[in-house]
Amino acid sequence: MLGQIFAITIKDLKILFKDRAGMVMLFAMPGMFILVMSVALQGVFDTGTDDKPVEMLVINQDNGGLAGEAINELRDLGGIVLIDEIDGQKLTLEKGDRLIGSGEYQVALVFPQEFSVSILAAATDPESAQATVTFIADPAASPQFLAPVEGAVQGFIQRVAAYAQAPQKIEAGFASLAEEAPPGQGDIVSQLGTAFVDRLEKVGGLDGSGSLGVRFEQVAPSNYQLAELPDSVEQNVPGYTILGVFFIVQVLATSLLREKQEGTFRRLLAAPLSQGALLLGKLLPCYLVNLIQVGLMFSIGHFVFGMSLGSSPLALLVITLATAAASTALGLLVASFGKTLEQIGSLSTLLALTLAAIGGMMVPTFVMPEFMQTLSKVTPHAWSLSAYQDVIVRGLGFAEIWTETGVLVGFAAVFFVIALCRFRFE
Amino acid sequence: MTEVILAVKDLRKSFGGHNAVNGISYEIVRGEIFGLLGPNGAGKTTTIAMMTGLFKPTSGNVSFTMNGQRWNSSDVKPRLGLVPQEMALYPTLSAWDNLLFFGRIYGLRGRKLRERVKIVLEMVGLADRAKEPIDSYSGGMKRRINIAAGLLHEPDVLFLDEPTVGVDPQSRNAIFENIQTLNSTGLTIIYTTHYMEEAQRLCDRIAIIDRGRVIALDTPGNLINSLGGGLIRLGLHNGLGKTVAHNGRAHPEVRDITIMDDCLIVETHNPQKALIGMLDIINQMDVRVTSLEVMEPNLEAVFLQLTGKSLRDN
Ligand SMILES: Nc1ncnc2c1ncn2[C@@H]1O[C@H](COP(=O)(O)OP(=O)(O)O)[C@@H](O)[C@H]1O
Ligand SMILES: [Mg+2]
Repeated sequence: MLGQIFAITIKDLKILFKDRAGMVMLFAMPGMFILVMSVALQGVFDTGTDDKPVEMLVINQDNGGLAGEAINELRDLGGIVLIDEIDGQKLTLEKGDRLIGSGEYQVALVFPQEFSVSILAAATDPESAQATVTFIADPAASPQFLAPVEGAVQGFIQRVAAYAQAPQKIEAGFASLAEEAPPGQGDIVSQLGTAFVDRLEKVGGLDGSGSLGVRFEQVAPSNYQLAELPDSVEQNVPGYTILGVFFIVQVLATSLLREKQEGTFRRLLAAPLSQGALLLGKLLPCYLVNLIQVGLMFSIGHFVFGMSLGSSPLALLVITLATAAASTALGLLVASFGKTLEQIGSLSTLLALTLAAIGGMMVPTFVMPEFMQTLSKVTPHAWSLSAYQDVIVRGLGFAEIWTETGVLVGFAAVFFVIALCRFRFE
Repeated sequence: MTEVILAVKDLRKSFGGHNAVNGISYEIVRGEIFGLLGPNGAGKTTTIAMMTGLFKPTSGNVSFTMNGQRWNSSDVKPRLGLVPQEMALYPTLSAWDNLLFFGRIYGLRGRKLRERVKIVLEMVGLADRAKEPIDSYSGGMKRRINIAAGLLHEPDVLFLDEPTVGVDPQSRNAIFENIQTLNSTGLTIIYTTHYMEEAQRLCDRIAIIDRGRVIALDTPGNLINSLGGGLIRLGLHNGLGKTVAHNGRAHPEVRDITIMDDCLIVETHNPQKALIGMLDIINQMDVRVTSLEVMEPNLEAVFLQLTGKSLRDN
């Protein structure tokens, strides 16, 4: 029986590799898409370009006046436009968070209520609580864009804090000096000078290296999952690979119908060959072709575009096995519905392109409206892409892709069971 | 000496209420060429499918006797060969690759497999073209490879389902010779066709099938003799068929007349004299003749007599 299954597999692979149109569909088309789209869309997914003037939202919750001073200083900073009110209304934390989450702005600067108090307290007590200045940043914004902007803003705020602390620090310095000053010494002036600088440094200098009572943190907007997003290559390579993998639906369904129509199934079933072995023999070559497709396309991604393959080849393999199972099972399902080659051709093309589009193979789901993102979940494509990106974008491994692969295997099982109930060898 | 190898009893198959095979029984003797003759849609292919174990019969049964024991179709699959009515080959593969593949399915391997492929290719006379894809073959060549594929595993019983459809006369003769040679080595052959000349020429016995039933079963000679002489088919214009038939039966040269639709089927030992007599009657009654056919005593005439239809109609 194994011999028979292999005989069918080898026979089908021979037929498939002689079929030019099939080869183009399975290999050349997705390969071409990957090459063209990866190059054409480079940078499109890196939302926020450096050419645009940077608009930064400012939310001032400070009870004191230091934040206001800092904001005034920042207005003079070239290349950054500060926005602290919208439609005449002062920005609130909620509003700012929403604007970043919806992608309208890329970064917001939030001064906390205790901003002034903390800075002034820190002037004399380095151990006092620090205020946290927060940057709410769109995770889709590229670090190359955010880092310099945030760096410049941080520098300004630190300077404002240091100046604000200076008078108190000098006072504190003299105070501690006066306590120890020896009466009636001749070179008191020079000593005073040295000691002054000394003391000043002990309580924290003017260079901002001591406690300024403020620290900085970058967060994602609250309605945004902190997920690393794929770049053009990481979107297009797995995306179009999955699209290509599902073209096997047409190949398999066509091959099954041909065998029925041309009478070869009749000959095979008259032989001492079980229906199960025959079906396995038909599915196996398609499954293998799927694996070859993924291997080839990911190689292009890796070697031509330098796409990372993550740290878990095992995870990639498991995802690939599950994806190929879903696509071959779908092929069997289409075969169990299609009565003519034309029906199968149009049904599988429709499925291949629609599912790919909905699943986010061509345009990533994170740019789609929410209901489309939900809809994408009904396609095996979306789960497969998400699993691949977990590995190649987010560096996750075997343990974190179980949900997605489980869903893919579930798709495969459902397709397969329905197909088996409907499929006729005659 | 006559040993039944295959017995079919009251076989029926219905497809969604339509009875494709409607109670067929016969016994096939080891070493004979048994013909299933009938028009398209008669149920020949469905019958073969049940005999070879492809379809389960709706009712009735098929049993083989081999090595002194009785078997179901599925038990003896390795001993049966089927040549489907379709060109059951992979068109983009070469004849050689096709045959290797089907041989493997029957469990042949290695040297034995290649030997068998060569032998069947030589038998059908296509050894020199074996490496060309089936696509590039003529209809006749494809048919010959189709037959070769059914012989790879040296079956005891060979089912040939309309193996000459779309074949040029030269290939047809080659195929007939192959079949006769195979039969002379002891192979039992079941041969379906809707060409009566083929059945007449090849078969030891013929079951004539129409609408899923066997309507006659005998040697070609006996079937034809049952006609007596020949047949005349007369198409008449207006509905006077009954009166014409009544008067005609009184004619001494007419054995019997059956009325089928607008036609009269006249059985006779002497077609010529009977025809003159019938035309006299028609003339006197002033009926218009719309068609007229005088048929030799052959299987076509037998079928016509039994069903009122021509084998080729439809
Ligand atoms: N798989 C099938 N499903 C439904 N009807 C069928 C099927 N196979 C055959 N038939 C019907 O059964 C009848 C007999 O067909 P078939 O056995 O192919 O006749 P033949 O081989 O004598 O031409 C035909 O009316 C045909 O339409
Ligand atoms: Mg038929």
